[in-house]
Amino acid sequence: MKRSKKAALVLMAPAATLLLAGCGEQQQEVHVFHNAEECAAFYHPPAECQAEFERASVLHTQVAPRYQDQFECEADFGAGQCETAPERHQSGSFFMPMMMGYMAGQMMNRGNLAGGQAQQLQQSTANNRSAVPTQPLYKSRDDRSTFRTAGNQAVASQPGVARVRPSAVQPQRAQLVRRGGFGEQAAVRQQAARQQANRQRSYGS
Amino acid sequence: MKRVNSTPRPGWQAYAESLGFKFHTIDGEPYWDESAYYQFSLRQIEQDLEDVTEELHAMALDLVPDILADEQKLDQLAIPADYRDALAESWQRGDPHLYGRMDLVYDGSGPAKLLELNYDTPTSLYETGFFQWVWLEDQLMRGELPAGADQFNSLQDKLEQAFANLTLPQPFHFTSVRESIEDKGTVDYLLDIATQSGVDSRYIALEDIGSLDGQYYDLQGEPITGLFKLYPWEFMLEEAFAEQVKTSQTLWLEPLWKLLLSNKGILPLLWQKHPGHPNLLESHFDSGKALDKGWLRKPLFSREGANIELVTADGKRLSEPGPYQDAPFIRQRLQPLPSFDGNYTLIGSWVVGDSAAGIGIREDNSLITKDSSRFLPHIILD
Repeated sequence: MKRSKKAALVLMAPAATLLLAGCGEQQQEVHVFHNAEECAAFYHPPAECQAEFERASVLHTQVAPRYQDQFECEADFGAGQCETAPERHQSGSFFMPMMMGYMAGQMMNRGNLAGGQAQQLQQSTANNRSAVPTQPLYKSRDDRSTFRTAGNQAVASQPGVARVRPSAVQPQRAQLVRRGGFGEQAAVRQQAARQQANRQRSYGS
Repeated sequence: MKRVNSTPRPGWQAYAESLGFKFHTIDGEPYWDESAYYQFSLRQIEQDLEDVTEELHAMALDLVPDILADEQKLDQLAIPADYRDALAESWQRGDPHLYGRMDLVYDGSGPAKLLELNYDTPTSLYETGFFQWVWLEDQLMRGELPAGADQFNSLQDKLEQAFANLTLPQPFHFTSVRESIEDKGTVDYLLDIATQSGVDSRYIALEDIGSLDGQYYDLQGEPITGLFKLYPWEFMLEEAFAEQVKTSQTLWLEPLWKLLLSNKGILPLLWQKHPGHPNLLESHFDSGKALDKGWLRKPLFSREGANIELVTADGKRLSEPGPYQDAPFIRQRLQPLPSFDGNYTLIGSWVVGDSAAGIGIREDNSLITKDSSRFLPHIILD
């Protein structure tokens, strides 16, 4: 016999599509500040404000978006708003935006709270930590009022209390890798083929 | 060898789609065409195609060290000077190769003639290895084909063995241009076979490949240690991430040395080494002067019939436009494709590893086979 004994497919014949929807996720209350002093001014214990700020600062060096050079970074975050990142690449340092604020998942108020709010707080403390990790926030060059996460998720336009979906603000380690360096010739040839009214369907032969 | 009219299976289009064959019809024109098939004798297949394919393949591999040892040949093939060392290393290290397809002119008698080697990014793989096979089994079951009809098509078996036997780094990635449905179909097929062979196989769009400090990365930030790419080497070496080819710890399929064999310049070099070989057509590097009758001109790097120009024996000029006018050209003596009921027929003969693995047939209304040419199934029946 000159042909294959079998020719099965295990992946290509598609199964029923599963829809994974993110709806139904509850928003959670968070606290957003420029710095620890502002946090304290919003009636929170200064030591806790400082501790959360430091927690965010540590995360900042891990999650802030990375750029190959200062110019690329400032194009997104504005002149003088970038600093060198801890990592180096072949031809120099990576750059990252400066931290412009932080978001705390939960905050105690100064003094003892009365009634339901205090109970709620105890409950959430009892459930260990908040679903929203304390993390650094940034501001883009063209929108200086909005606080954004390292993943470019807008969370608040002023200090104080905000509401977020926890899944949208989970910190991710910064991506150091450049992408998009392959595929240009396909685009060039596609363009040339289009001008000749001659389509280019495949890059095989 | 003959062309036999045949009744298409009712509803085959929906069935094709359910099996992942999304490009069976292109711009409203049939691509997969089962309104006819080609019939061969076993002798035609074994002597005229299978043996010839393995012989031509061995002759091509045999040329690689000759080319690597000769700067003038590397110049003639327009191999970028910057990448010659990396290319030579990929050959000397014995980087493995998976597959290739050679295009042959054959009409059932006389020696098949080699038109070109598609040894870097050959396509029509799924159509040949899978859908053509399914068609045969289906038509046998329906009694539409005589019992005992066979097919020269061990492509999927051989690919599965190859993936099982090559020791590939894992996870092993497969990539293609994001917008090409056809290329994604081919890559999905290979990924499927590799998975069946036990290889941890993953897809990444070509445009998503990342680069850092001389290494390529996937979307999870893990280094890409093995990559099948359905994208030509000559394109990759002109792009922003080319440089990292020299440093990246990546096993490539096809390997970088395939840049030599997918190059049309291999045709004059084969002719120089084996002048008058019955399966070769006389070929030369192009001097740029006008074509004589009975000759054709094609770029060193071209795909799917693009940028081919030919003059028939009686002086008729035919040309196909395309986006590959920037490379040097070769000229080749014209061996017109045979015509069956007014259709011009080309045979694509597959090689997996170093074994002949089956054929796929393309038909066109013109002497130049293009990406729009129809794909027809075949049978072996004595």
